[in-house]
Amino acid sequence: MNAEGLRIGARHVGTPLRRENARRHVAGRSRFTTDLTLPQMLHAAFVRSPLAHGRITELDVSEARAAPGVHAVLTAADLADCCTPWRGTLDHFAGMTSVSQRPLAEEEVLWVGHPVAMILAESRAMAEDASELVLLDIEELPAVTDPHAALHPDSPKAALEAEKGNLCFETVLETGAVDQVFAEAAHVVEEEFTFGRHTAVTLEPRAILADFDPSTRRLTVHQGTQTPYQFQDTFARHLGLEQSNVRVISPDVGGSFGMKLHVYHEEMAVAAASVLHGRPVRYVPDRLETFLSDIHARDHRITARMALDAEGHILAMDVHDIAPIGPFSTYPRTSVAEGNQVIRLMGAPYRMPDYRGRLQVVFQNKVQTSQYRAVGHPIACAVTEALVDKAAVALGLDPFAIRAANVIADDAYPARSATGFEFEALSHEECLGKLRDLMGYDALREQQAALRDRGIYRGIGIAPFVEITNPGATFYGIGGARISAQDGAIVKLTPGGQAQVAISITEQGQGTETIIAQIVADELGLDPSQVRVTTGDTETTPSGGATWACRGAGIGGETALRAARKLAAQIRAISGAVLQKDGDTLILSGGAVVSADNPMVAMDLSEVARIAYYRPDTLPAGIDTSLSVAHHFAPSGYPFDFTNGIQASHVEVDPETGIVRLLRHWVVEDCGTIINPLLVDEQIRGGVVQGLGAALFEECLYDESGQLTNGSMADYLVPMPCEMPDIAIAHVETPTKDTILGAKGVGEAGTAAASAAAMNAVNDALLPLGARITQTPMTPLRILRALKTITD
Amino acid sequence: MELTGRYELEAPPEVVWDALFDPEVLAASIPGCETLQAEGPAAYTATVKLKVGPVSARFKGNVEIVDAAPCRSCRITGKGSGGIAGVAQGASLVALEATATGTVLTYTADAKVGGKLAALGSRLIESTARKLADQFFANFATHLKSRQENAA
Amino acid sequence: MSEQIPLSFTLNGKPVAAFVEPRKSLADFLREDRALTATRLGCEMGTCGACLVMMDGAPAHACLVLAAQAEGAEITTLEGQSEDALMADLQAAFVDRNAAQCGFCTSGMLTTALAYVRQGGTPDRAAIRDALSGNYCRCTGYEAIVDAIAGVAEAAMHKEAAA
Repeated sequence: MNAEGLRIGARHVGTPLRRENARRHVAGRSRFTTDLTLPQMLHAAFVRSPLAHGRITELDVSEARAAPGVHAVLTAADLADCCTPWRGTLDHFAGMTSVSQRPLAEEEVLWVGHPVAMILAESRAMAEDASELVLLDIEELPAVTDPHAALHPDSPKAALEAEKGNLCFETVLETGAVDQVFAEAAHVVEEEFTFGRHTAVTLEPRAILADFDPSTRRLTVHQGTQTPYQFQDTFARHLGLEQSNVRVISPDVGGSFGMKLHVYHEEMAVAAASVLHGRPVRYVPDRLETFLSDIHARDHRITARMALDAEGHILAMDVHDIAPIGPFSTYPRTSVAEGNQVIRLMGAPYRMPDYRGRLQVVFQNKVQTSQYRAVGHPIACAVTEALVDKAAVALGLDPFAIRAANVIADDAYPARSATGFEFEALSHEECLGKLRDLMGYDALREQQAALRDRGIYRGIGIAPFVEITNPGATFYGIGGARISAQDGAIVKLTPGGQAQVAISITEQGQGTETIIAQIVADELGLDPSQVRVTTGDTETTPSGGATWACRGAGIGGETALRAARKLAAQIRAISGAVLQKDGDTLILSGGAVVSADNPMVAMDLSEVARIAYYRPDTLPAGIDTSLSVAHHFAPSGYPFDFTNGIQASHVEVDPETGIVRLLRHWVVEDCGTIINPLLVDEQIRGGVVQGLGAALFEECLYDESGQLTNGSMADYLVPMPCEMPDIAIAHVETPTKDTILGAKGVGEAGTAAASAAAMNAVNDALLPLGARITQTPMTPLRILRALKTITD
Repeated sequence: MELTGRYELEAPPEVVWDALFDPEVLAASIPGCETLQAEGPAAYTATVKLKVGPVSARFKGNVEIVDAAPCRSCRITGKGSGGIAGVAQGASLVALEATATGTVLTYTADAKVGGKLAALGSRLIESTARKLADQFFANFATHLKSRQENAA
Repeated sequence: MSEQIPLSFTLNGKPVAAFVEPRKSLADFLREDRALTATRLGCEMGTCGACLVMMDGAPAHACLVLAAQAEGAEITTLEGQSEDALMADLQAAFVDRNAAQCGFCTSGMLTTALAYVRQGGTPDRAAIRDALSGNYCRCTGYEAIVDAIAGVAEAAMHKEAAA
């Protein structure tokens, strides 16, 4: 042992360790579900409804069945006996309704893209060829495509069986005296907002390869998902299989962002078809199909007002969110969580005594909507911050000054929001100060004024935010969803003295495996390169919640830490017996167990392992030689570990063309303990760009009959490199005391406030022109309408 | 989507009118028409092969001529299903007016598409529809001419 | 379906002879017939850049090129670039800068980057963003990718100046 190894605390948590996964990706050695093939594999293609709402009057698949290479053509009746229906409601959303769903439409088609028939063929091309031979006739029913009209008592129903017409869910959140506060307030600002519907556009589409072995009744599903355990449970329950006989493997996943954890008709049909036919079945949607079947997100019509006193202190907000979803609520997480978070996150950074938030979730005949990166956050943030900026203009206050006067002070925690959220410790004041320095705010304002004189319109927008991370069991479990709030890890010391970890959080490129290696390496005194982490396989890892709602690092990381500490205690006990030292006086460092009081007394971990595995006979009788430990952890402190931060956007608006140029973006973020600063920063940047895409480009466009009219990447605009700004990032670290690790989530922080900052920046640029925009995406056309250059 | 068009045909309105009700002329005029079967005096079923941008499909549909005011005007409605390509439906008001050299035919049509056609081809549909209409009437004029020549 | 046609070209430095359906894209041929899965399909209409391969030394969308059009050409996929020193530099820079998250766009990004640096592209960030204008990435927000390419372009410039 060299002297270097004796140094205690060569910590890897907090260092920018590079990802081993990235080495595979750059070498072209990734293995995505889309890359997998199996012997005897069949390819699936779907025949979909071309109409938004209707009744199937004829479905003739006989010609398709006879087509070359076709193994089978399945319709709803074929799958009726092997797959039970599902319904996307949860008990804690009191009174919510939704019609139940089956893999293939039985009689009624509910949106353009609703799968009606499924072709299984020897190749994808053959399956697609045969799908053209299916004769499908649909009697058109009125399509519900406008949420306000949908709520009218005379409106046709989006789904004929819906119990309460087009109302899926309604709730009101209210403190005592909202009306009185507004009546007496010195200032009231109000606004109407429209937030467009957009979608995840992961570069790898959803993908599934289901492989049922009839001889053992085992189903193995390779699936690009964030939540293999949830799907193991789903497939087992709905296909009538033993849960222990269902294995879900998520290999490399080409982007997910919340979109790949929902139950889709196609995936259920593919798994059912594999069970029915005893052959592997693969399905990868093409890009059009992703637009027609991946969940869409957002889509809100909001009226909101804010009351302030004479000095600009926020007194109350009053918000009404009409949130149109699809024709049913998504299973198993519902389509209600988005709106629910919108009304609960309003005004979250601020001392705001009173609040009323009303939410109406409305069915319509479009693709189902559900949770997507930063669920509800960007909407609540944009509404709140647009009103704060509007109030600042009305009161003649600087945007920084009005926020400084209203954020919950850094020394005022714990604190409770008007909407009922409990904040353990946030750092708005410090973040505000840091952002101002980071962006050189005063110089930017001077530059803005100088450029305005030359007819150049630049704008600066800022947006503080609060993010929900590390959710506990009250999030889904309480409503009856079989979605775990805990995670599990098995940590093992190999006979060679290295570590292997199997953990229930999953990897989609954010660096899960890397941070787990860092955490475990620190606990065991190893180098992270000596820690191998396995994720994404229900058969080889413990069951857990996996990756969503910014819980991987905070909850999964804590699970790994505690599991590793258990193993470290075992290692100390075994080596203590050899070294004749009390285990508590031993330290794990530099790949060895070292005595704290005498560094010369030490033994390599490989030696501990060798003795425990190969010569347990040399240890004292009765000693526990286990070198694999399992540990599960569920958060039990605050219901959520909230994070906070602030973003700023700098834009230039061309009033002639309506085009917005993004010049620069800044983020100050507080996610508690930073496990890996490199990965944290790139999570934030990626999140910001998704938010900017929503702010300026991305929208699923429908015509009044419910036809999606931009179902390709040529027509649906995603943010591309040449349009995106550089993004500067700074941090504040306020670790949560709920856990030893102290880490909170960060994956959604970028998306949470980017569009709000951009909207405020655009409006700041438009201010001298007397124009204002409160609709996203802020397309050139809409900006020209705001400028009244175009009037239609 | 609304389309309008105006065509000058070298035949009197009566001849044009008859031709509009002649399945043979219609079959030869409809671009991509593979089969056309009369289901009644003014109703047909047809199979048409079309390509709109990236989407090509065989449409099965029916065409009906209603509100006929002989030699003056009628309304043509149609509905077609193109399998996974989507659906198309439309109605067109056709009017004939006698001129010194023959007939001026004008139409206004309202067309709606659904499914893949709408999602992928929305930017191409209008120009394609216009092209198809032009093709139809060009073919129609040619057949009208040969019909007249044969008759002569 | 129609009958298969003969095809021969150079793939990753080795001659390939095969029969293909005339309608089969080069991307499908590479992935399905040759198991070269580093060429990925994201949009199948030439907008996302995930399927970019080198075709006679220039990036080409394998989803828009029919396999039959590769007749006589020299095609190099990411799998075939492992000996290229410049590609090795780019790969190292992508890892160092965490410019590959989910990895699905990475082959296409590296292909564009290789062509950019080979053609003497500068470390100018706007120029790099412009060169990447046909490459979509949903994970990174692009900055890390721009940084990685800028670093390699900078080094390549110095190397050239020193030579």
